[in-house]
Amino acid sequence: MNGERLALAVLFCAVAAISLLPVLRLLQEIVLPAGRFDPALLTRVLGSPAVWRATWNTVVTGLGGAALAVLAGGAAACLVTLTDVRGKSLLAFGFMLPLMISPQVMALAWLDLFGPNSAILKPLGLAPAIGTRHPLYGPGGILLLFGIEQAPLVYLAVRAGLRAVPAELVEAARVAGSGPWRAFIGTVLPLTMPQLAVGGALAFVANCGNFGIPAFLGIPAGYPMLVTQIYQRLNGFGPSVLGEVAALALPLATIALFGLLLQSLIGGSGERRMTPGRQELRLWRLGRWRLPVEILWWMLLFVVVALPFAALLASALSPAIGVALSLGNLTVANFTFVMLEHAATRRAFTNSFTISGIAAIILATVAIPLAYFTILRKVSALRALRFGVEFPYALPGIVLAVAMILSFLRPLPLLGFSLYGTAWIILLAYLARFLPLALGPVDAALRQFDPKQEEAAQVIGAGLTRRLFTIILPAVAPATAVGAILVFLLACNELTVSALLWSSGIETIGVVLFGLEQGGDAGSAAAVAILSMTLTIALMLVLDRMARRFPTVIVPWRA
Amino acid sequence: MKTHLLAAVVLATLSAVPAFAQSKLVLYTSQPDKDAQQTVDGFKKQNPGVEVEVFRSGTTEVMNKLLAEFMAGAPAADVLLIADAVSMERLKADNRLQAHPGADLAQFPAGAYDAGKTYFGTKLITTGIVVNKAAGMKPQSWADLLKPEAKGQVTLPSPLYSGAAAIHMAALQADPKLGPSYYEALAKNGATPVRGNGAVVTAVAGGQKMYGVIVEFMALNAQAKGSPVEFVFPTEGVSAVTEPVAMLRTAKNPVAARAFIDFILSKPGQELAVSQGYLPARKDVTPPAGFPNVADLKIMPIDVAATLKSEEANKKRFADLFGG
Repeated sequence: MNGERLALAVLFCAVAAISLLPVLRLLQEIVLPAGRFDPALLTRVLGSPAVWRATWNTVVTGLGGAALAVLAGGAAACLVTLTDVRGKSLLAFGFMLPLMISPQVMALAWLDLFGPNSAILKPLGLAPAIGTRHPLYGPGGILLLFGIEQAPLVYLAVRAGLRAVPAELVEAARVAGSGPWRAFIGTVLPLTMPQLAVGGALAFVANCGNFGIPAFLGIPAGYPMLVTQIYQRLNGFGPSVLGEVAALALPLATIALFGLLLQSLIGGSGERRMTPGRQELRLWRLGRWRLPVEILWWMLLFVVVALPFAALLASALSPAIGVALSLGNLTVANFTFVMLEHAATRRAFTNSFTISGIAAIILATVAIPLAYFTILRKVSALRALRFGVEFPYALPGIVLAVAMILSFLRPLPLLGFSLYGTAWIILLAYLARFLPLALGPVDAALRQFDPKQEEAAQVIGAGLTRRLFTIILPAVAPATAVGAILVFLLACNELTVSALLWSSGIETIGVVLFGLEQGGDAGSAAAVAILSMTLTIALMLVLDRMARRFPTVIVPWRA
Repeated sequence: MKTHLLAAVVLATLSAVPAFAQSKLVLYTSQPDKDAQQTVDGFKKQNPGVEVEVFRSGTTEVMNKLLAEFMAGAPAADVLLIADAVSMERLKADNRLQAHPGADLAQFPAGAYDAGKTYFGTKLITTGIVVNKAAGMKPQSWADLLKPEAKGQVTLPSPLYSGAAAIHMAALQADPKLGPSYYEALAKNGATPVRGNGAVVTAVAGGQKMYGVIVEFMALNAQAKGSPVEFVFPTEGVSAVTEPVAMLRTAKNPVAARAFIDFILSKPGQELAVSQGYLPARKDVTPPAGFPNVADLKIMPIDVAATLKSEEANKKRFADLFGG
């Protein structure tokens, strides 16, 4: 029992140190700069009109994007759950792509599609006239891409809600003579409202913290948002404005906290009501409308997902910016440059793979005991901690990066060296940020696990380590692997955290992509984007395979 | 005396060789990715065994990265190749630079390098106007960018990112005809900033904007590659930076850092710069084709000390005017 206590204490302290300390350091910088309460900085920063403009822009595009995501995601969830369209898992897989592909790759692809030199639209005469502002620059484009990227999030929440609607209620309504629409509006919709709201709120929080889309569509348009303002101020004015930047993070941190609270209030109850393996309700049989509806959906998906990436591929294969692509001038020079010649890109892939890989392995290892003690053993101290570990994930990556710089810029006490400028600071940030991702699937698997197995082992005298290895581990191994792959996937795709933490030699994939685009090398940027996207889809296919094989594994698009 | 010299050479070689054999050089630069890569490749060809790591961003960001590292007590850079001498002056004033008295400067005009030999101008990079060939009006002067035809059609690099843009802002504001109100007028005419010069060429060559404020080599290179743009040297003059190279006092690999400076200043190093479309600083290297005679260029002067002092205020003003 003592060994178990010790293990618990170590686990608690390690997780708390990595997940909570940087966030607390940030809070201290905001509330107690230089060790004592001083509202001057806060009032000066939050009183500046530029900050209010950025906050306003963030809220407007965030809300607009969330509304769009609720419409699209809600409709998709209804279509997949309540009707008899065919090819649902493929449809869901395609619909999920915008969430999984990194925002900077999405932004680049859409910029290429709707630019005056679009390889797709120009031959059709649909590209915007030369000399006009890019139609996606500014609030409209940001809002649109926010909506497309977060629609899958709403889809997941609403689909979970729809599957929890008791079929008997719907049948009762139908028996009492309601048509499918009456039953939908009178019974299904009200019951799904909480999930719709949670999905929308999560989309809003995610939008406010999104960096890739405002960086590509907002910065060039001179449209300030909170995340880009933090990034530009820190890079443009240097470490002397760290305190100011921390104060700028306050509105974002508040939004994140709001999302977290809402999710734990409503989201939790929704999960408990779900009974897996039940027959789904088919409210609509589409009959002769089935084929037209299917065609419409596939066309929509084609426009939203396939076309932008075709335009991106065209940019990657084109010899120079502004030159129309033809079979004659098509070149793989951009790909050979980024894969063979450009040392930074090669290093970035190695770095991202290494740091993300190590983070994935560590987090998977920590996730098993952490989930075990919270779900099966219900240790109350850990359950409180579990709320805290969600925070670095809910917080915008750029704010987490500021917290990491604040915590680790000065040389470490006693050790005398600084983690800033090394790969360690990025690894620590990934560990803090992606822990909830690693925990999710393990939690889900343990909820389905029958605790009697473990109790039996305990009765015959198996110790904690033995039980963890022989009973818990085999039960959660596939789910843990899925969590690790998710961590790896998202860490490889991220830009927000490393944009402020990278140094020479420790570039990440997101950083070189951003750097190439900013350096005016659009062709090479497109090539890196294509490579990164291929990696994402490949990893998603691996997850898909695993979900087919192991019943305990739940991947979003097969839920 | 002779034996002393011989001994010194042998010692230097002995101490240099192992350091060279598996040494690492960290370069912080604002050169575009492709150019930086070619510079590094050229250096490595002459100094095999030295691994070079590059941190690349706009000069302002490179400087702030350095400042953060100074605060962390661990500056990673050995050698810098950044846009402007003003930034170098700032580092020199903070005693961050290390002189390289052995640099071979015979072919360089006296004004091209710091008299204390801490930093050395490597090129002449001027900022002018890039125009999309489809544009209705072809501007001849900086003042033309304020015309109604250019409303909402101008893009410019931000001094919060680019060192050349910071110098450009200082030079234009110091110009008696354009003056401090020029940037306000630009903002009123709907000019929008991007971060670096690279984004300017993307926007103008891509047809999203008709006019861009830009360093000449990027525009001329894009033109040479077939992009629909041309470059204008405005009548009031161009602002100029010298892309100086320098080593840090804290360089972990001073031997390789000096070798890097020597390479950049050498004839092959300068010829490489010419092949990338830059105007070389060395007198015995022929400038790239398509450039006007350097003597004919009208360069707008800046006061280094005044620019150093107003830098922070200028950046704030720019951020307030254009947002971001």
